[in-house]
Amino acid sequence: MSFKVYQINPELKDVMPQEIIDLEEKSTLNNPKRGVMDLPFYKELIEEHSLCAGCPEAAALRYIMASLPNPEDTIIVNSTGCTSLVFPHIAMHTVHSLFGNQNAVASGIKRVLEYRYPDRVKDVVVLAGDGATVDIGLDCTLQSFFRQEKITTICFDNEVYANTGGQESGMTPKGHVFKMAPKGKQFEKVPMWQLAIDSGCKYVARLTVSSPKRVESVIKKAVYVARYLGPTYVHLYTPCILEIGLNSDQGLEEMRARDKERFEFFEYITPEAQEVIDRVKAEGLL
Amino acid sequence: MYYVAEVINDECTKYKCNQCTLFCPEPNTLMYINNPDERHAFVYANRCKGCALCVYVCSNLLKRNAIRMVMPEIHSST
Repeated sequence: MSFKVYQINPELKDVMPQEIIDLEEKSTLNNPKRGVMDLPFYKELIEEHSLCAGCPEAAALRYIMASLPNPEDTIIVNSTGCTSLVFPHIAMHTVHSLFGNQNAVASGIKRVLEYRYPDRVKDVVVLAGDGATVDIGLDCTLQSFFRQEKITTICFDNEVYANTGGQESGMTPKGHVFKMAPKGKQFEKVPMWQLAIDSGCKYVARLTVSSPKRVESVIKKAVYVARYLGPTYVHLYTPCILEIGLNSDQGLEEMRARDKERFEFFEYITPEAQEVIDRVKAEGLL
Repeated sequence: MYYVAEVINDECTKYKCNQCTLFCPEPNTLMYINNPDERHAFVYANRCKGCALCVYVCSNLLKRNAIRMVMPEIHSST
């Protein structure tokens, strides 16, 4: 795929919806220096999603879509969850996998693309929730790290199975009570970022989405390192405001509070990943 | 029928922070116009879900009070 896919046949332009025309004329496609600071001025790749009002995950998706350096040639693999409600609304290639096997699907896609398009850069990015990445999909996630697949894995951690009514997940902190977990979580939260490091990821980050510029920086680093070296993992805290009983305007406040405790910004960069990051920075792309 | 965000242009013009446009969870809803004649955020009311996160950012975090929640015409007429 290339930018040409978004170009409208001039003869059909008068019948196209304005949103599609805006995508061609006012988006940041074809600009490797795109970033979150373009959001107030340009057409975004997401169009009217169906997530709840004030959902932090929706903000995270805005930042990620705005930060991908090469969206025309990026394939997103997603899994079942709230995030999967957004993917029909984005102007990118997406593949919806079965619950938990998104990293296996992404591995195959990446290998086929390298074979089919040896001269072109194709990024594969996995976007999935904590249930798909850490609980049900932990096997596929870690195996893709062990195999050193050149894919970026982004986990939206809301610490609960929010989409199905509030069951505890492996990422729920110890003692937390949810509607479908009345006894409270009996064991500790899975340290997925540490597992990613031990499994061979070249770049790992843990953060909330309370700072758009920081999310942009992390996503770009993760994509570039995955492109040239091997697996990268980004762990984002995107609380479900409904399940933890907050109002729609309190998601940001919640994330800012967690910035100071269990989601304090953490970044792991291997020396070879640092070389890639320095090179990309020197090119002015980061 | 629900309240949506509305930018108070005269207040917003005093600053050039863009912060509300970044923190809005809805795409292409809270945008910024940056012309020599006009410089402020603005809301596409028919896309706003009324979460009021922008009001939290503008009033609580930045102490600027340039956004308020109002009943828009498109909703009050239905």
